[in-house]
Amino acid sequence: MKIMNCPLNGPRNISEFVWGGEVKPMPDPAATSDQDWAEWLFLENNEAGIVREWWCHVPTSFWFIAERNTVTDEILKTYPAGDVFKSRVDFAAKAEKQS
Amino acid sequence: MNAIAPASHLRRSFIYRLLAASGAEFGEVNGGAVALHYGGSREAELATARRLGLADLSVLPHGGFKGKGTVEWLTAQGLAIGPDSNVAYKQAGGEWAARLAPTEIFLLDSLAGTGALLQRLNAAWQWAAAAPRPAQGYPMPRQDSHAWFMATGAFVPEMFAKICGVDLRREHFAEGAIAQTSVAKMSAIIIRADRPAKDGRVTPAYHVLADIASAEYLWTCLMDAAAEFDGKPVGLRALRDLEA
Amino acid sequence: MSQLNRLPAPFGRLIDRAKPLTFEFEGRAIEGFAGDTIASALAANEQWMLSRSFKYHRPRGILTLAGQDANTLVQLPDEPSCLADRYPARHGLKVMAQNYFGSFDNDMARLVELAHRFLPVGFYYKTFNEKKSSWKFWEPVVRAMAGLGKIDPKADFHHSYYDKKYLFADVAVIGGGPAGLAAARAAADAGAEVILVEENEALGGSLGYARFDAKGERGNQVLDDLVKGVEGRGNLSVMTGAICSGYFADHWLPVIQGNRFYKLRAKSVVIATGSLEQPAVFRNNDLPGVMMASAAQRLIRLYGVRPGRKAVILAANDDAYGAALDLLDAGTEVVAIADLRATASNSPLVAAVKARGIAIHQGHGISEALYAKKSHISGAVLAPVAGEGTFGRGGTQVACDLILMSVGFSPAGQILHHAGAKFGYCHASNMFQPVETPTGVHAAGSVNNTYDLDAVLADGRRAGLAAARDAGLGVAEIPAAPAEKGNVGRTHPWPIFPHERGFDFVDFDEDLKYHDLVNGIADGYDNVELLKRYSTVGMGPSQGKHSAVAAVRIVARETGGDIARMSVTTQRPPYAPEKFGHLAGRVFDPERRTAMHHRHLELGAQMMPAGIWWRPAYYGAKSERSALINAEVRAVRENVGLIDVSTLGGLDVRGPDAAEFLNRMYTFAYVKQPVGRSRYVLMTDNAGVITDDGVACRFHDEHFYVTATTSGVDAVYRQMLFWNAQWRLDVDVANVTAAYAGVNIAGPKSRAVLQKVCSDIDLSAESFPYMGVRLGTVAGIPARLMRVGFVGELGYEIHVPAGYGEALWDALMEAGKAEGIRPFGVEAQRVLRLEKGHIIVSQDTDGLTNIWEADMAWAVAKSKPFFIGGRSTEIMGAKKQLRKLVGFTLKNDADPCPEECHLVLKGEEIVGRVTSAVRSPSLGKVLGLAYVHADDAAPGTSFEIKIDGGRRITGIVTKYPFYDPDNKRQEM
Repeated sequence: MKIMNCPLNGPRNISEFVWGGEVKPMPDPAATSDQDWAEWLFLENNEAGIVREWWCHVPTSFWFIAERNTVTDEILKTYPAGDVFKSRVDFAAKAEKQS
Repeated sequence: MNAIAPASHLRRSFIYRLLAASGAEFGEVNGGAVALHYGGSREAELATARRLGLADLSVLPHGGFKGKGTVEWLTAQGLAIGPDSNVAYKQAGGEWAARLAPTEIFLLDSLAGTGALLQRLNAAWQWAAAAPRPAQGYPMPRQDSHAWFMATGAFVPEMFAKICGVDLRREHFAEGAIAQTSVAKMSAIIIRADRPAKDGRVTPAYHVLADIASAEYLWTCLMDAAAEFDGKPVGLRALRDLEA
Repeated sequence: MSQLNRLPAPFGRLIDRAKPLTFEFEGRAIEGFAGDTIASALAANEQWMLSRSFKYHRPRGILTLAGQDANTLVQLPDEPSCLADRYPARHGLKVMAQNYFGSFDNDMARLVELAHRFLPVGFYYKTFNEKKSSWKFWEPVVRAMAGLGKIDPKADFHHSYYDKKYLFADVAVIGGGPAGLAAARAAADAGAEVILVEENEALGGSLGYARFDAKGERGNQVLDDLVKGVEGRGNLSVMTGAICSGYFADHWLPVIQGNRFYKLRAKSVVIATGSLEQPAVFRNNDLPGVMMASAAQRLIRLYGVRPGRKAVILAANDDAYGAALDLLDAGTEVVAIADLRATASNSPLVAAVKARGIAIHQGHGISEALYAKKSHISGAVLAPVAGEGTFGRGGTQVACDLILMSVGFSPAGQILHHAGAKFGYCHASNMFQPVETPTGVHAAGSVNNTYDLDAVLADGRRAGLAAARDAGLGVAEIPAAPAEKGNVGRTHPWPIFPHERGFDFVDFDEDLKYHDLVNGIADGYDNVELLKRYSTVGMGPSQGKHSAVAAVRIVARETGGDIARMSVTTQRPPYAPEKFGHLAGRVFDPERRTAMHHRHLELGAQMMPAGIWWRPAYYGAKSERSALINAEVRAVRENVGLIDVSTLGGLDVRGPDAAEFLNRMYTFAYVKQPVGRSRYVLMTDNAGVITDDGVACRFHDEHFYVTATTSGVDAVYRQMLFWNAQWRLDVDVANVTAAYAGVNIAGPKSRAVLQKVCSDIDLSAESFPYMGVRLGTVAGIPARLMRVGFVGELGYEIHVPAGYGEALWDALMEAGKAEGIRPFGVEAQRVLRLEKGHIIVSQDTDGLTNIWEADMAWAVAKSKPFFIGGRSTEIMGAKKQLRKLVGFTLKNDADPCPEECHLVLKGEEIVGRVTSAVRSPSLGKVLGLAYVHADDAAPGTSFEIKIDGGRRITGIVTKYPFYDPDNKRQEM
C-alpha cells in the first residue's frame, strides 16, 4: 500500500485518503461562456506527467494538495491548500439586490 | 460514590449495557454513571490494568474549541498549548489539551473528573455583543460527539497493531503524541498518556476518542483484539490506582 | 514395516524421535514423528505416490519437498489442496489424496492419458472458439474433471479465527537462508530494527540440507553460526513458518503465518528468497521416484528419510556429486551418474564420489524413466548426448527406484518481480538474474545469481548494510558485491530431451509435454506471454516455478530468438496461495447506533440500515407490517407520535461569514434570514445536480445549525471544507451529527405533551411559530428545538446532546402516556412525507436531477452572485427539460399501487419512473411521485406506468401536497 505524507498528520497509508480531483481554477461563472464552463466541469486533462491534485485525509477531513507524477505514481510533494489559496475569494454581486 | 444504576442519570454512556453485562459497578461522575470496578479484587483489576485493560470514560468531562483564535483564546484563559499539531499538552490540573490542528483543541479532564477547567472555559466563552467580534474559536460538543475509552497496560501497542495501521509502539509514539487515524475501519483519535505511579513505575496508557454512535462497535472490536492478551475491562478505580 | 525408510540420527534435524505420532493416509495408518511433514512421513513409510495429475491423472510424488510444486497437494477433512511437503503431520490427522475417480491406486480417469493425442494444446481455444455449440457437449465432462480438492461444509468442517496485524520494521529480510541471515545480522548490527521472514519452520535454507564440502560438515557449521547471530537480539525478530506472498508499494509486505495475515511495513527490504532447482525434461520425468537432487537431500538431512534404494543421478553440475555423497551416507546405492557435461570438473565433491567407485557416465543423459507399475519408476535409460537435446544411438537400461535431477537453478524472483525489479539473462550462468532493483529493495544470495557460499554470505552482508542505510541508519561503507559469484557451471542451458513417444513433461501442474509447447508456438503463439495463455504453461498451482524457464528456452529455440532478449512471464502476487480466511480476517464493519437504539429494540422495533446507521423501520411483528405502519401514520395524523431522528446530519456553521458561506453552498438566500428561524437548504453540485437538502436554523447572527440527510452529511461536510479551503471565508464548519440525539414529536397533541416537560420556552403558535427555532431545556436537558413540517403535522424536532438522548426519549414517552403517544419508524415517516409531497433526495432524485426537473426553482435565490451549481442550473434552465418530477394518483384507484422504479412510458418509449408511491392511509388512495415526460407534467395529464408483470396502468398528474394542501395542520 502506498504511503502519502499528509501535511497535517504525516505519512499514512493511502487508504486513509480520498482523491478530490485535479486542482484547476474555476472560470468566473458570471463571465465565462457555456462552452468553457462545460469544459471546466466535465473535461479532465489526464496529463501524463506531474499533476496537482486535491486529496483529503478522511479521519481529519483535512484537504491538501499533492503533486504526483501520473506516469510513475510517485508523490513528489504535499502541502496545505493555503499555500496556493492565500486570500479570500469573492464573487461579483449581480445587478439585482439580494433577498 | 455509591453503587448506582446508569439509567438513573440523564447522561449515559452509549455502552453502559455492555459494561453492566461485564459486571461493572457504577458510580456517579459528572452527572453520569462511570464503571468504577468489575467486582473482583482491587489488586487483580490493577494487575489487569497493567497488562491490558480497557476503560470507558465517556461520561467524564471532555470538550473542545475550534476555529480561528482558538489557541490564542485558550492561552489567554491560562492553558499551556505548544506550537505543534497532533501533540497533546498536559495542563496543571492533569487535563490534556490535544491540539488536533492549528486551530482545534480537544480537552480531556483529569481522571478526577471534576470538570472544573471545562466548566470555567464554557462559562467564559460568550458571543461578543456586536460585530466585528474577536476571534476566539467556537465551543465544540465533544462531550457528546466522542466516546472516550482508555487502554492501559504493556500489551496496548500489540492490541492496536491488530486494528490500527499507525505504529503506536512506545519507541515510535511518544508521550502526548496524537494519531488521528482509522481504527477497526472507523476514524478515531489516539493519544498516549501514560500513568506513572508514585514509585516511578509507568504503565502505558492511551486515550481512544471515537464517534459516539459507534461506541458499541468499537468497544466490541477492542475487546476482541484484547482477548489474545487476556485483556479485560477495568474501572476508574484501577486507572486511578495506576497512579497511586 | 513401519518407517522402513527412516534413517538414524543425526539424519533428520527437524524431527523429534521422542514424539511419535500416527495419522491416516487414504485410510491407512502412517507413523511419523513430530517435525515431519505429511509427505516426509509418507516417504518414510514407502508411500511415494501422493497425488494424481491434473489432466492425465498420472501418479505423482515428491518433486521438490519444499512446498513449491503441485504434486503434493492433498485433501484434509476441512481443507482441500494442502501442500503435503509443507503441512506438518499431526497425530490423528485424516489425509486423503485428491483428483482421482474410483480409487487412488486404480484411478479410472488415468485412461484419459490414452486419449492425449485428442487433447491438443489449446484444446479450449480450438474446440470452443470455432464451434461454440460444442460447449454443451463438453461442459459436463470438463466440469466433472476440473478442480483438485473438494470443500464439503457438511463434513468434518470447522470455522477458524483468522485475523490481521500490522508490523513495522526498518529493514525487512525475506528469506532465512545464508544470504538472509547474513543480511539480517548486518542490518541489525548497523542499528536497524529488522524483521526476518522465513517460509520454512527452520532457518538456514540450503545450509540445512545441501552439501558444501566432501565431508558434509560446513553447512551445519555456518548455519549454527548464523543462527546465533540473529538470536536474542532486541532489534531483530525472526518469523518462521511465515510466507511473504508479495511486495506492494512503499515496502508493504503481506506475510502469512498460521491463521494470521501480517501487513509488514518496512523502510527497506532485502529479498533473499534463494533459487529453485529446475527439473530436466525426459520421458516419464514426472513419475514417483523422479525428484530434484535437493528434494532427496531434504529427505535425508531434514527428515531422516532414505529417498530410495538404488539411485541414478542426472547431473549437470557439481551439486549432483554432493547429493551422491549424501545418498551414499544414507545407504542408498548410487548405480550411476549420467553427467550431461562432456568433461568432469575438478571439484573435491567429484573426486570424493570417484573415490567411492561410483560409475560416472560423462556426456550422458537419461532418455527415459522406466516403470513396471506406473506408481513408481523401476529403471532408467542412459544415453549418450549427441547434440542440444538429442541423444546418440544406443542406450543402457539400468534398474533403479530413484532418479535425481541436478541440472540447474532459477532465481526465486517472484517477490523481486512484484517489487518491479528488472531481470536479464546471464549467458555465463545460463540463468536469469536481477539487473536493476527499485530504490530500497536489495537482492542477495542465489536469487541474485550468487551461489558460492562465501560469496552468498558476503552478498547478504552487503545487502543488509545497504538496506540499513536506505532505512536512514548511519552506515559508513557498503561493500561491493562479490566478484566471484560461483554461478558458472551450475545450470545447463538446455536440459530438455524430448522423446518421440512423449510424456516428456515441461509443466507438471498442467500436464504439458514438450510438443504441446512446440505445437503452441507453431500455432502462432510465439511469445512467452501468449504461449502461457494458449497452452496454460505456468498457470497451475506452482505458477511456473519449474516450467517458466524451460518455456522461455523452448520459445527462444523454436523462434530462433535470443533468450537474452526474452523474459519469463510477468509474476504477480500472491507468491503463495492465500486463504479467504486470511484475506477476510476479522470483519470490521462499523455501524452507528443512536442513543435510543436499545429503547427501540425493547419496543420490538424492526431495525433497518440507513447508511451505516440502524433505524427503526416500524414497531412490532413483521407479520403485521403494513397494519403497524398504517397505525403509526394514524397516530401522527390524529394524535401524537415520536420518531428518532438522531441520524439526521447536523453541521454547526459559525463565524462572521456564516451566512455568506451558506449562500454559496446552498441554492437559497440566508443573509437576511432572521435569528430564531429556519430556512430550507438545497444543495446542488457543480453540474447543477441536486445532492442534499435540510434546514438551516439560525441561532445567532453568526451561527447556523444546518441539517443534512443521514447518508449525505459526511459528503456535505467534506464539500464545505473543500470549498472553503479555496474561498477562505471567516467561517468554521463542524460536523456535529453524532453529538446530537434528536426526536421529532409530531401530531395534533404534540404541543400538549411537550408542554409537560418544557417550561422555559413559550410553545404557543404565536410565540414559537412554524419554522421557528429555539434554545431551551426539555426534561431538564439542554435542547435545540425546531418547528419543522416534514410529516405535515404540528411538530417539534428536539436535538439534545447525545449522552442525554435516551433520557429524552424516556421523558417524552412518559409525558405522552396520557395522550397515547406512539413511537413511529422510518416507514411511517416515508408515508407521512409522501402524503405531504416532500421529496427525499436520492430517492426521488437521482444522479442527474436538476432543480428544473424536480420543480424546485422556488428554492433558488436568483439574484445572489454565486452558488455551487448556479451556472449549470442557469444553463440547463435555458434548455427544454426532458422529464419532470410530478405528483400522481391513479385513474383507477382499484389498480395495484405501483412500486419504486416502475417505468413511466410514452408510447413504447421509457420517459421516466416512479420514485415513491403508497396507498395513503390518510387519504385512502394511491399517491406518489414520478418522473414523466416534460410535456405531460401539467396537472390532470394522464400517463402510463408499467407495473409488475408488464401490465400498464394510468396515472394522473396531481398537484401536491396531497394532504392538507394549505399546510394548516403543520402551522397550528
